[in-house]
Amino acid sequence: MSNFQVLKLEYGACVDALSEALRGGDETAFFTAVDHIVRMREPQTLTEIRKLTGDLQKALERFSIESRLADIAENEIPDAKTRLSHVIKMTDEAAHRTLDLVEQSGPLAERTAREAGVLIDSLQTYRDRPPVGSGFESVVRSIDAFLPVVRAVEAFLPAARADSERIRKNLADVLLAQGYQDLTGQIIRSVIKLVGELEETLASLTNLSGDIVEHTTLGENPDQGHGPVVPGVTRGEVASGQTDVDELLSGLGM
Amino acid sequence: MSKDLKFLVVDDFSTMRRIIKNLLHDLGYPNVAEADDGKTALPMLQAGGYDFLITDWNMPGMPGLELIKAVRADAKLAKMPVLMLTAEAKREQIIEAAQAGVNGYVIKPFTAETLKEKLDKILGAGK
Repeated sequence: MSNFQVLKLEYGACVDALSEALRGGDETAFFTAVDHIVRMREPQTLTEIRKLTGDLQKALERFSIESRLADIAENEIPDAKTRLSHVIKMTDEAAHRTLDLVEQSGPLAERTAREAGVLIDSLQTYRDRPPVGSGFESVVRSIDAFLPVVRAVEAFLPAARADSERIRKNLADVLLAQGYQDLTGQIIRSVIKLVGELEETLASLTNLSGDIVEHTTLGENPDQGHGPVVPGVTRGEVASGQTDVDELLSGLGM
Repeated sequence: MSKDLKFLVVDDFSTMRRIIKNLLHDLGYPNVAEADDGKTALPMLQAGGYDFLITDWNMPGMPGLELIKAVRADAKLAKMPVLMLTAEAKREQIIEAAQAGVNGYVIKPFTAETLKEKLDKILGAGK
């Protein structure tokens, strides 16, 4: 059955009654027929209004989610990119610092080991030397043979001490260079938080029937802290270094 | 005597705790305990036995600033020397930490010399 046939079935009798009343000049019958037609249309109008309201609500929800998405796309994604680039820079610097220190320490340790080896050989040669002469002459020869070994030991010990101290200091600096992990970790964590929010926002967009996600802006709670300063991202007045911090605190009477 | 001081180092990153612990060892303070946030640190401090607190700011759970406020509000801990060792470098935050009662503030990345200098200063002032 076509749509028009359905309409004809629904409204045909009313329209007939209406034209009958018109032809017969029956005012009461005319208005009764008109009222009947209006009542028949009412449920359909209500359904249409309901549908319109629903569409409007969805459009508003979509608008709210899309504004948040636009904000993420315009501001927070570029910020996150800068943050991650900063992470690369910090890890790169820390890796190079560590490698430099390791490369400096290697030859120092090798030199100490090599010179210690030479000394061990000299001592062994001294021990293995064939006995020469006897009595006092033997003692004098023995001392003569031992003197170069003593001189070598005298030269070796201060150098070995200096090299060991240098290696010890390099190791302490290697340790300190690992501090980047704390800072980069904090930055990466904030980017993970943003990705999580992006995921939630996109999920809301694809499922508009659900509740709108409540948004939290990164680093909004100052008590929680903002994380390391990222050039180009961190806003507001920041201390440029420890000297700046010390000056600020001494200004406060600390 | 000062070398017997017991430190509590609070930082959510184990690498940073390790670094600070090592530096304290090098400075002659072998007695160091660790906690990974304020929530873990506070009961440890309240149980007693600690002489010096070194804390980070940005930590999940209870951040350092909250820990310092809790320490200052506790009659038994109120006078404990506290050094904040953090990446937080906003001027308003440094002022806030000073108001909360820190004895020193060091920003990361830091050097062994800076840590030594601040410890000496705080411990010297307490004598």
